[in-house]
Amino acid sequence: MRSDRPNHNPLTLPSRRLSLLVRVSAASLVLATVLAGAGADDDAMTGMQSEAVIESRPLTQQEQQFFESKIRPVLVANCYSCHSAQSSKLRANLLLDTRDGLLRGGDLGAAVVPGDLDASLLIKALRYDDEDLQMPPKAKLSEAVIRDFEQWVTMGAPDPRVDVVGTIDGGGPAIASYSMDIEKGRRFWAFRAPLKPETPKVSDSAWPLREVDRFTLASMEARSVRPVADAERGAWLRRVTFDLTGLPPTPEAIAVFDKDRSAKAYETVVDRLLASPAYGERWGRHWLDVARYAESSGKESNVLYPHAWRYRDYVINAFATDKPFDEFVREQIAGDLLPASDPTDRAENLIATGYLAIGPKSHSAQNARQFAVDVVDEQIDSMSQGILAVTIACARCHDHKFDPIPQKDYYAIAGIFASSTTAFGTERGPGNRHTAPLIELPADARITNGPSMPTQRRSIIATAADRLKQESERTAEAAKVARESGEGLNQINLAKVRNLRDQSSLLGTILERFDEEGHPTAMNRVAMGVAESKRMVDAPVLTRGEIDKAGERVPRGFVQVLMSDEAPAITEGSGRRELAAWLTSRENPLTARVWMNRVWLHLFAKGIVPTPDNFGMSGLPPTDQRLLDWLAVRFMEEGWSTKAMLRELTLSHTYRLAAVGDAKNQEADPENLTLWRFPTRRLEAEAIRDSMLAVAGTLQLTPPVGSPTNFGEGSMRGGDQRLLSLLTTNEPVRSVYLPIVREELPQSLEVFDFAEPSFVVGDRAETNVATQALYLMNSPEVMATADAFADRLLAMKGSEADRIVRAFELSFGRRPTGAEVAASREFMKEFAKDLVAEKGSAPSSKGSAANENRPGQRLRERMKDRANRGDASPSVAAPSNERAAWSAFCQAMFASGEFRMLN
Amino acid sequence: MDLCNNRLPTPVSRRDLLRTMACGFGYLAFSGIAHTAWADDVVADPLAPKSPHFPARAKRVIFLCMAGGPSHVDTFDYKPKLITDDGKAFGKGLRAGAKLLASPWKFRQSGKSGLWISDLFPEVAKHADDLCLLRGMKTDVPAHAQATTKLHTGSFQFVRPSMGAWSLYGLGTSNKNLPGFVTIDPPSQNGGAQNYGSSFLPAIYQGVPVNLANAKKQRGGASGADAIENINNDRFGEKAQREQLDLVQRLNKEHMKQAKEDPQTKQSLDGVIESYELAFRMQAEVPDLIDFSQESKATLEMYGIGTGNDKFARQCLLARRFAEAGVRFIEVSHGGWDTHRNLRDDLTKQCGEVDRPIAALLGDLKKRGMLKDTLVVWGGEFGRTPYAQNGDGRDHNNKGFTTWMAGAGVKGGFSYGSTDDYGIESVDGIVDIHDWHATMLHLLGLDHEKLTYRHAGRDFRLTDVKGNVRKDILA
Repeated sequence: MRSDRPNHNPLTLPSRRLSLLVRVSAASLVLATVLAGAGADDDAMTGMQSEAVIESRPLTQQEQQFFESKIRPVLVANCYSCHSAQSSKLRANLLLDTRDGLLRGGDLGAAVVPGDLDASLLIKALRYDDEDLQMPPKAKLSEAVIRDFEQWVTMGAPDPRVDVVGTIDGGGPAIASYSMDIEKGRRFWAFRAPLKPETPKVSDSAWPLREVDRFTLASMEARSVRPVADAERGAWLRRVTFDLTGLPPTPEAIAVFDKDRSAKAYETVVDRLLASPAYGERWGRHWLDVARYAESSGKESNVLYPHAWRYRDYVINAFATDKPFDEFVREQIAGDLLPASDPTDRAENLIATGYLAIGPKSHSAQNARQFAVDVVDEQIDSMSQGILAVTIACARCHDHKFDPIPQKDYYAIAGIFASSTTAFGTERGPGNRHTAPLIELPADARITNGPSMPTQRRSIIATAADRLKQESERTAEAAKVARESGEGLNQINLAKVRNLRDQSSLLGTILERFDEEGHPTAMNRVAMGVAESKRMVDAPVLTRGEIDKAGERVPRGFVQVLMSDEAPAITEGSGRRELAAWLTSRENPLTARVWMNRVWLHLFAKGIVPTPDNFGMSGLPPTDQRLLDWLAVRFMEEGWSTKAMLRELTLSHTYRLAAVGDAKNQEADPENLTLWRFPTRRLEAEAIRDSMLAVAGTLQLTPPVGSPTNFGEGSMRGGDQRLLSLLTTNEPVRSVYLPIVREELPQSLEVFDFAEPSFVVGDRAETNVATQALYLMNSPEVMATADAFADRLLAMKGSEADRIVRAFELSFGRRPTGAEVAASREFMKEFAKDLVAEKGSAPSSKGSAANENRPGQRLRERMKDRANRGDASPSVAAPSNERAAWSAFCQAMFASGEFRMLN
Repeated sequence: MDLCNNRLPTPVSRRDLLRTMACGFGYLAFSGIAHTAWADDVVADPLAPKSPHFPARAKRVIFLCMAGGPSHVDTFDYKPKLITDDGKAFGKGLRAGAKLLASPWKFRQSGKSGLWISDLFPEVAKHADDLCLLRGMKTDVPAHAQATTKLHTGSFQFVRPSMGAWSLYGLGTSNKNLPGFVTIDPPSQNGGAQNYGSSFLPAIYQGVPVNLANAKKQRGGASGADAIENINNDRFGEKAQREQLDLVQRLNKEHMKQAKEDPQTKQSLDGVIESYELAFRMQAEVPDLIDFSQESKATLEMYGIGTGNDKFARQCLLARRFAEAGVRFIEVSHGGWDTHRNLRDDLTKQCGEVDRPIAALLGDLKKRGMLKDTLVVWGGEFGRTPYAQNGDGRDHNNKGFTTWMAGAGVKGGFSYGSTDDYGIESVDGIVDIHDWHATMLHLLGLDHEKLTYRHAGRDFRLTDVKGNVRKDILA
């Protein structure tokens, strides 16, 4: 699937307006835009030649009235029966119920040429001058009406009925005309390109440290609130370390920062964190939430996607290297069509398109067509919510209920994806009727072949594959004998044979990927992704979204309301390259804003637009549009660098504020919309788990190669649960590398509101619920980690008090108070007593609490035995009880509210 | 809580003991702290009981899910013409040549109402006057996975919240010591966790699986160990664990002091503190619930516990105990209804496993005065064809099948809707899955059109844009 296509820079693609209009002067549009400084601003349009902009200019009230009173009624009464979407039989392929239909015309050519009476066939027909062209056919209309039409054409044929007319597909028009006011929609704040606002003036000019602070301070001053004091340095360090890396600051980092009293101390920290690999893992995961990343299909069959991890690694790497965000988006939509500097770059571009392939799918769906349109729908939904924060998929079955997105726009985009093939790479098997190839990665690319499979696992799979193969042959033979002996076609046997063959072939696929030693082979150099279809198609509008109700085909294109300016034309191919270019155009009103809003909410708890996946009219408006627009424009000016913006934001004064209350501010701005204080947050699931492992000293910071799901194939439902458990092991790697099988999430992540991987999740829930408490109190994996933490403390030289201090430093990034030390010491004493008195125990040497029998039970019985023998000296049990007490103490540190809170 | 009145008194339960202990340094110790200047900011508990839209007939639902598609024409949908036309070719389309198969079981009229029920359900038939048969059911797709997710979530195309999650979201729950939505031994296939998931609803509303099958059997019952994930601590005894929790709570209290005038931190810490106390109470309550030793011998016998395959009997008794304890939505699953062949043997076995426990559950609820506000629902994802498959089996049938409801607010001894003469297709009183959901929500006092949740820019409902409450069945 390698492309030899000449590569264009997507930003310099030849552009034209999507609708097929005559004489649109692109140059004048651009010029006017620049002069007025706005894309969709009404003012931008006023200086233009009427000939250039008939189609996108909002009508004056007078024009509107003229059309509605004199033109539309006549068209409806006399023309629509043969020339509209409602026509039972469309004549001459001419549609007069839309502006584009009029301008584009039918078999004879354009019905109306604005401003040109002689060239307008409609006028000719109305005048009855030409014997071959007289309309309406029954009788000539009155002279007054004809004069109205002439006047109207001379005016430039102002027509509010915005719509793009597609080609007519065989059976005639199937949908009603669309009358939503797209022009008006373009004036909605989110659908106008952001302009860089002036930096607001503030009275306290000493407070801002960064430009962004002027915006936040201006809002505060407008509401008469004062920013609270700064956070303590330690709190800021913990905050910024978690925010940028998802890990707690090490005691060493705390000490270094504590000593560094230079002016650059804060910058030094931020730069160090941004440069660390942990940054890519943290921020890559934020995008993976939006990209609904998972390694299986979910839904009824939950078919494994053994190669999805390559996309995960691509995302992490993109953030680590600060790949410009526009490039990042383009690669995910159309990486296969973009230029590459070398084979490795090429491989990366191909892997990036995995974004479109990893969505949830119904692999058991019986209808192939339904499956195909559902895949496209999922792609549209994820892309539009994830990148644009617009719910385009709402327009699948009908025009969008809230936003000016006609159903046709949905199908314009659907055509783009329908003209691409999705390489999700699964094979037929139980629960899976849908197969697709994978994308081969360039042989000379410097990429990993994948993880190595334990040889024992490989031999188990090989044996199973053989057994299944033999069984299928035996069954096939039996079925054959039965058939020949006249017992008739045994359907059950045939189904069984097919099933066995499929299963055996799935295992065979795994075996092809790993050689006898378990090393990954070249067969494993594949990725999920998309490629161009052999045949390009425009998608038909499906009435109510039903596949057997196909209507007219819509030319491939984008969402009209978001195209107040130049949209790249789809001249060849599926249109994904143009889609990618359009998404990342400087004129796109949403992409930069939406991402900056996501960045903001990860630092400040709430988005400036509180509905981060919905900037549409049913979403919430921005709390401070100037700020959002400034961020978006600045972001683009900075070359779409996320790191540059994170640097700006984390070094701001706003970010440095303490997380404390203030009665007066509370009254004036109870929701903290102006950020007069730093908002307290709960850490995400990954940060909680990674912190426990980091504090215990067992976190493995080296990224694993690939994912355990690479060792599997097929449906995860109703099958062998042992297989599933092998594929979802909980290694002490960073949480971002744990295998994400839909519906089978690692418990450590699921209990703490991990992003549901079947949806675009811009904003995770932050709950504190009992299932989390049970997990932290009783889960063997938490207890094992607490054991490791205890061992780490016990290995330290020093007193009990020293260890307690260390435990606090490691867990909370601060020294304990006197009361905390006292409470901890008291606990040690009392708990050890309880253990002896009650039935507590020392953890077993491996720290596993998952034993079938309670270790505590056994210990107690042993002690009873000893007591009976008269040698129950407490000192005998002391060492292990001491460890148990330390482990319980360490577990309490994990369980405490402070451990999971960021403030 | 009136629901607990019927529970057998025990001198000092383990739970009570723990509650007392908790006062030593537990939840109560902190209750004072929360009431500071910022107490008003405390966010409402998402599980707190909420008023229904209108007075509810049902306070809770027990859904007995017969996975695989139970045959309606052999159980609750009496088709005399199928008997007379036994063996006749029923030839249409793909099924040309298929032969009608009369039910091998006799149907007879039961109760004062005279509902026709087959001999497969002799015990349930004794409760005929409490049953409301829905004989005009239909669903979209005759495939297990799709129909099962449709049955539970209203959608087979998209991942949507389950009906239990919607119910909990709409009504909250009254017992703070237990989850509000439990599903006992849910199957892992055909949608798996999706069938009790919360999808875009907050995670707190998802069903908590109770794996009774895992729970260790003892004392004629089972221990609560492993029934709910992490419900059991394998290492520490209660006292030691309380000691540990007290340290956690003390650290939380210290942190709260440090947070000074910070309402936000206080609020989060309150949540954390409460979550531990609830977890601790759940630890105590769940094993008690799963421990059947407090049940009388007569009750155990009534359900059929201790004889043969008593898995479903245990599930039903547990369902009653959860209902009593105030759980809002309880699902019990029983698999194996996919009778493509060996109909005679398999359906005998299937019904044999569920008949007595279901009858016992209905009787037990009635005896305890709970049937009047407990909605018991029985059914599978679809029904089966009246014509034969593999000689002695029946194929999937989504066009017509039967489910039934009993208890709170539905007419007893009532049959609503019907299929055609053979039971192929519903022709009258049709109840599709959206109608079925709408009716269930209605009985819970919820207007299915008003029970909405905003997600991805629009308001979602369990019933999508469809669903009609079948008022004819309301008592």
